[in-house]
Amino acid sequence: MASPKKSHTVIAALILVAVSLVSFSLYFKTPERTGFFKKIILEAAVPLGSAVNSALGSIGTTWKRYVLLVGLEEKNRELERVVASLTREVNDLRETSLECVRLRKLMDMKNDVWFPAVAARVVGKNRLSVFQTVLINKGTVDGIEAGFPVMAAQGVAGRIIEVSWNVSKVLLLVDYNSNIDALIQRNRCQGVLQGASSSGCELKYVQRSEDVQVGDVVISSGLDRVFPRGLLLGTVAAVEKKNAALFQKIRVAPALDIAKLEEVLVIMKRRGEGP
Amino acid sequence: MIYYLLLPVFSLFLLTIQINVFDIFFLGKIAPEISLILVVYAGFFLGIARGGTLSVVLGFFMDCMTGVVPGLFVISYLLIFLISNIVSFRVYAGGMIFTTVFTVVCVLFEKLLIIMMYKALYGMGVLYEILNDSLLQAVVTGILAPAFFALFRRLEDLLSVWESRSSRQL
Repeated sequence: MASPKKSHTVIAALILVAVSLVSFSLYFKTPERTGFFKKIILEAAVPLGSAVNSALGSIGTTWKRYVLLVGLEEKNRELERVVASLTREVNDLRETSLECVRLRKLMDMKNDVWFPAVAARVVGKNRLSVFQTVLINKGTVDGIEAGFPVMAAQGVAGRIIEVSWNVSKVLLLVDYNSNIDALIQRNRCQGVLQGASSSGCELKYVQRSEDVQVGDVVISSGLDRVFPRGLLLGTVAAVEKKNAALFQKIRVAPALDIAKLEEVLVIMKRRGEGP
Repeated sequence: MIYYLLLPVFSLFLLTIQINVFDIFFLGKIAPEISLILVVYAGFFLGIARGGTLSVVLGFFMDCMTGVVPGLFVISYLLIFLISNIVSFRVYAGGMIFTTVFTVVCVLFEKLLIIMMYKALYGMGVLYEILNDSLLQAVVTGILAPAFFALFRRLEDLLSVWESRSSRQL
């Protein structure tokens, strides 16, 4: 016969397992809702995180500067080359843009619908290799809802998955759970951009016959009805065509630099609204 | 009682440090999972009630602050705690090498659970990608584990002194 102490241990273990299974199953019941306790924790985490960040800010900056100094000269030369090339490109694009404005007027095209947006600061980054999420300092008080797209200066950052009163969690486009309907800008070839964590992203379901080249720009198609059309997602980094495969394996380098992600713009667009 | 009152505050503080401080010093390249080291420590040295509660609270907080599928960290932390607890009955768990190796195995086990979840829920095969990303993280977490074990032991001692003092005052 089991001793009372042993049976207590087994009961305690069973209770804990039951609690964890209930918590797991709740997600499938209401995946879009953020629970009360979760909101409390998100609210508490941000001021604490900000306090830690501000306390360690100067140490962190010094450390980053020291690490970044290594190879700075070579990077500087490379950047000068890039600046020269970009200056030429900007000039070309300016010409193209002016031409586009004229054509648009001529064709009396309807302007794209623009949505109101809220600027937010990134207050917590998760660098665990599996889940790629960040916390931002705006929530339901500012009108943010789960599912809203999030932009960074470089392009699409991701979408809101959980919202508290003053804090929201953003699922970055490099997370495995992120799927965005995308287009290759050059030839309008369509696919689904799926996150691949540290490897960036992968453009899936693009047929072998399609002409995709390294350096091609990938933009949102708007067909998923979450992200507006034409937002920059990244550039093609590698293309692999296997003989027997139906689709190409396309690796995409996201435009977003997560290491430098500090401010984001939340677009107040519900699923299905607008283009 | 003090232990259970301090648990949420301590968990929140630990995870904040884990997310923010290591991001600064490792420049976002590696993210040692200190919370998992604590779960392994709890499995080795704390009882089922204390350690189990700690694992559930830490898992829940991890789910809230970083997780994408809520409940996943709760389950994985609890399983790792129970495994560590069972192992501690059969093996001397204080050795440095054993602690390191066992922690590495636990980190990989946690990632394996996530891979299985992805396969089961979304039909995604991400075994290679996740293990590739996690290997270095597992090794770094394992190397750090003995030092954090010493720190947690010190904290546990401080807490027990505090608890005995407050019970005497009562």
